[in-house]
Amino acid sequence: MKKYIEVARAYMKAQLVWRLDTLVDVILAVAKILFAWILWSILFEGKEQIAGLGFQAMISYYIVSSYLFQLEKSAEISQQMAGMLRNGTFSKYMVIPVQTQGYFVAMEAGKIAFSAVIGFFVTFLWFYLFRIPFLFTTDRKILLCGIIMVVLGLLFMALLNYFLGILTLKFEEISTFLMIKDNLSAFVTGAVIPLVLLPEWLIAGVRFLPFYYVTYLPSMLLIGKCEDEAITGLFVLSVWCIVFIVLNQATYEHYRIKYDGAGI
Amino acid sequence: MKNNFKFITELIKLRLSHIMTFRLGFFAPFFINTSYFLVQLFAFEAIYGHVDNIRGWGHGEILIFIGTFSLIDTLNMIICFFGVISIPEKIQTGELDLYLTKPVNPLLRITFEKVNPGSIPLLVFSACIIVYGVKESNMSLSYTNIIGYLCLVFLMTILYYDLELLIRCFAFFVFSINNLMKIENTATDLCLKIPGIAFSGIYKFIFYCALPYGVIATLPTQAFIGVLSVKGLIFGVAIVCIFTFIALSFWTYGVHRYESASS
Repeated sequence: MKKYIEVARAYMKAQLVWRLDTLVDVILAVAKILFAWILWSILFEGKEQIAGLGFQAMISYYIVSSYLFQLEKSAEISQQMAGMLRNGTFSKYMVIPVQTQGYFVAMEAGKIAFSAVIGFFVTFLWFYLFRIPFLFTTDRKILLCGIIMVVLGLLFMALLNYFLGILTLKFEEISTFLMIKDNLSAFVTGAVIPLVLLPEWLIAGVRFLPFYYVTYLPSMLLIGKCEDEAITGLFVLSVWCIVFIVLNQATYEHYRIKYDGAGI
Repeated sequence: MKNNFKFITELIKLRLSHIMTFRLGFFAPFFINTSYFLVQLFAFEAIYGHVDNIRGWGHGEILIFIGTFSLIDTLNMIICFFGVISIPEKIQTGELDLYLTKPVNPLLRITFEKVNPGSIPLLVFSACIIVYGVKESNMSLSYTNIIGYLCLVFLMTILYYDLELLIRCFAFFVFSINNLMKIENTATDLCLKIPGIAFSGIYKFIFYCALPYGVIATLPTQAFIGVLSVKGLIFGVAIVCIFTFIALSFWTYGVHRYESASS
């Protein structure tokens, strides 16, 4: 475990080198909130509620989900792995005495840790400056469930992207898959619109997938909605994480022999 | 002018023979665009399933608006998107030198050297949405409206190109334009979901004049449904002329400031 903490620490320090970039990133996440404000203030004209959410709840949802969405940087894992497997520099991860999966998850954790703190303060500042009315759960248990779900969700996305990265060993060119995954995951995680706006039958189907619990459900829990789904959500997401940990290990062991260190 | 057309034709021929070598690469943009397009369509249906009309535009008009935005985006994707997005990398790596030293207009070459026929099927999807929108709104179309619509789609495709170029030209002066591109994506996403007629006050100024993503699909849609005023038409033509002038001037200024890979 110590080794992985060291990896996470090293990447967190590396983020400090690019602190201005991280800060600008976080500030720009606010552009999304402002644009959501414009969109929904127009759509809410003459309406009290849309799909059970009032205007205040809708904006609160966007604030929380934008914060969570900008934390999720795991797409870099698959891009980085694909690039290194193709040009032969992946060998450096194979020769160090850590599991590659653990290494990439620790790397992601280190990167997130820094922007999570900065993002939290900047979001808080924006609330204060713009006097945004904000809903937040007061139930400590739900708050705890929401925070654990956020962590599990970030872990799941890191595992998923690691899995896609490994696929480079099989398919060589995966950039098309990655772009399609980016397009779809932004929607199914609820980063584009709250999933409550979707038809009921579709939501019922999406509940079996892990994406529902990555951004959407934690955001809803943190604004005090969907509280009855908290425990189920934690269970489903944990199962998905375990499945991917095993799947990643098996896939890596199966395909790593195809890598010859000279690039594909 | 004649030489430029010949040059563009040759570039397209070269590009086609290049992408046919990598067949998956040929269809990749189609799959990527389709997934993006479906996501936007689902988002649209999800939002407007709960909203009857927006400032007088019903479901049909909004569908025409979405189809038009998709049509302009697809035209952009087919003609120039992949060329224009490569500008920052060319500047950072010094590859732009190869373009500047050739006896042709470098911007012309960059714009047309990566045409992407893989997105052509999306034109059909966009047309289907527009036709569906027309059926939904029960409107009667006139030839004048259709011709006006096509002219404005052409003009707005140019405006879309201008905005793309303008943002990428910042790469002449700064190390990374990733954050500017994030603003571009967020603004495009917003203006894809909401017609320009819905904006008022400062937002109208921003999305009509400063970052005119708001007019891109709105003006052609207004022409199509027959509600575009002469004032609106003049505004559309003027904004395209102004932004084309600014984008080209900015490009020229950037090229003058360019000092190869060290810039």
